[in-house]
Amino acid sequence: MTHLPGSTLLAMGWRAQLLQATWNFERQQGVGWAYALQPALERLYPDAATRHERLAEHTAYFNTQPTLASLALGAVARLEADRAAGTGPDAAGIARIKSVLGSTLAALGDRLFWFSLRPFAAALGVLVALARHDSPWPAVVLWATYASVHQAVRLLGVGWGFAKGPAVLGGELRNRLEAAVTVLAYAGCIVLGVAVAWSLAPGGEPRPVALQSALAAGLGLGLLTALRARPSPTQWALALGVLGLIAAWQRLGRS
Amino acid sequence: MNGAWVGTVLLGGVAALDATPVAQTLLSQPLVTATVLGLMWGDLPTALSVGVVLQILAASTLPVGSRTPEDYATGGVVGTGVALALGAHAPFEYLRQSAMLVGTFAGMLTAVGGVPLIKWQRRRNEGLSHWCEQALRAGDERALGRAHAAAVALAFGVGVAYCAVAMGAVFLLTRGAVVQESMRLARAWELLQPLWLGFGFAQLLHAFVQRRLTRAAVFGASLVGAWLVLVMEWTR
Repeated sequence: MTHLPGSTLLAMGWRAQLLQATWNFERQQGVGWAYALQPALERLYPDAATRHERLAEHTAYFNTQPTLASLALGAVARLEADRAAGTGPDAAGIARIKSVLGSTLAALGDRLFWFSLRPFAAALGVLVALARHDSPWPAVVLWATYASVHQAVRLLGVGWGFAKGPAVLGGELRNRLEAAVTVLAYAGCIVLGVAVAWSLAPGGEPRPVALQSALAAGLGLGLLTALRARPSPTQWALALGVLGLIAAWQRLGRS
Repeated sequence: MNGAWVGTVLLGGVAALDATPVAQTLLSQPLVTATVLGLMWGDLPTALSVGVVLQILAASTLPVGSRTPEDYATGGVVGTGVALALGAHAPFEYLRQSAMLVGTFAGMLTAVGGVPLIKWQRRRNEGLSHWCEQALRAGDERALGRAHAAAVALAFGVGVAYCAVAMGAVFLLTRGAVVQESMRLARAWELLQPLWLGFGFAQLLHAFVQRRLTRAAVFGASLVGAWLVLVMEWTR
C-alpha cells in the first residue's frame, strides 16, 4: 500500500469543508467528495489519464452526515491506495463500500451531530443568553461547543479513516458515538431544566403568573406537537404568533 | 447607520455560506448572527431577545438527509436586523418590544420563504456537477475547483440578495405600524416571547428525552432544583 503523508490527509480534511458546496438533488455530495479526495488521487495516480478517470468516477452519487464524511474519505483513500498498488477493489467494489460507509455514517452522525450536539449547543447558548442579555458570551458558548468537536472530527477524521480503512466502522467507534449521544442527551435535559427554571424566575424573582402560564402553555403545546413531523415547529410558531397578536389586539381594544 | 445596513446584508451572505456550502460551524445560527448584529448596531439586548427566540426554533429544524430545512441562517439575520433597524436606541421600551415582535415574525417568514431559493440553488448545482464530470473526463482537473468557486459565489450572492430584499421590504412595510401600534405590539411580544420559548424548549426536550422516562426525570429534577436554588437565593 502507498502511504499518504499527513499533509495530504490534512489537505483532504480542509477540502471537506466544501463537501456540501455543490450539493444537488441528483448526486448530492458527489462533486464535493471528488474535490476532497483529489489531493490523495494526485499522489496515488501520477498518470494523468488514470487520475482523471478516477476523479470522474468519484463525482457519482454520495451522501452522508458531513462531519463524519471525513472518516469515509480516509477509508476510501486507503482503498484507492491499495487499488493503485494493484491489491485493492475495482471501481464497482469501491462504489459499494462507499455506499455502505455513507449510509452507516449518516445514521451515526445524524444522531450525534444533528439530534444531540447541535440541540445541546443551542440549549447551552440560550441558557447563557437568558442569564446574560448584554454579553457576546452566549454566541461564543454555542459556537465553540459545536465547532470544536465538529472541526476536530472533520480535520482529524481523515487520518483515522486512512489508518483503519473500512474497519473504521467497527464496534469501538459505534460504542464511543453511542456513549457520546447518551451523555449529551442527559446533559441537554439538565441544561433545559435550568433554562426553564430561569425563564420562570429570572435571577430568582418569579415572573408574573400570566407570563409563567404562557411559558407552560408553550411547553405543553410543544410536547404535544413534537411527535408529528407536520406542521413544522416554525409553522406552529407562526400560528401561535398570529393568535397572540389577535389576543393582544382584542384585549387592548377593550381596555 | 448605512454601514450597519451594509454589514447586516453582508452577514446574510456569510451566514448563507456557513449554513450548508462552507464549513457548517454554526456561525450561521440566529444566536451567533444576532450577537454580531447587536455589536454592529450597538444594541445587544434587543438583538439577543430576538436571537434567542429564533435560535430555539432553528434548533428544532434539522438538515437531515436530502430534506431542505427552513433557512434560519438568513431568517436569523433578517429577523434581528429588522428589529434593530426599527427599534435600536428607541426612547421607550415598548417601541423596542414592538420592533422585536416584528423582527421575530420577519425572521420566521424569511426562514420559510428561503426554502424555494435553496431548492433553486440545488437544482442549479445539478448542471454544475454534470459540467464538472465532463470537464474531468476531458482532462481538466481544475474543473473541480472552479465548480466549487462558482457554487460558493452563487450561495453568497443569493444570501446577500435575499437578505437585502427581505430586510428592506419588511422595514418599509412595518415602519409606520411599529410606531402607531407600538402598545399593542409590545403587549403581544410580552405574551408571545414566553410562549415561543416554551414551545421551543419542548421541541428540544423531545429531541433529548426520546421517550425515555429516566431522561424526563432528570429534566424534572433539574428544573425543580434550579428553581429552588434561584428562589432561595433571591429571598435571602
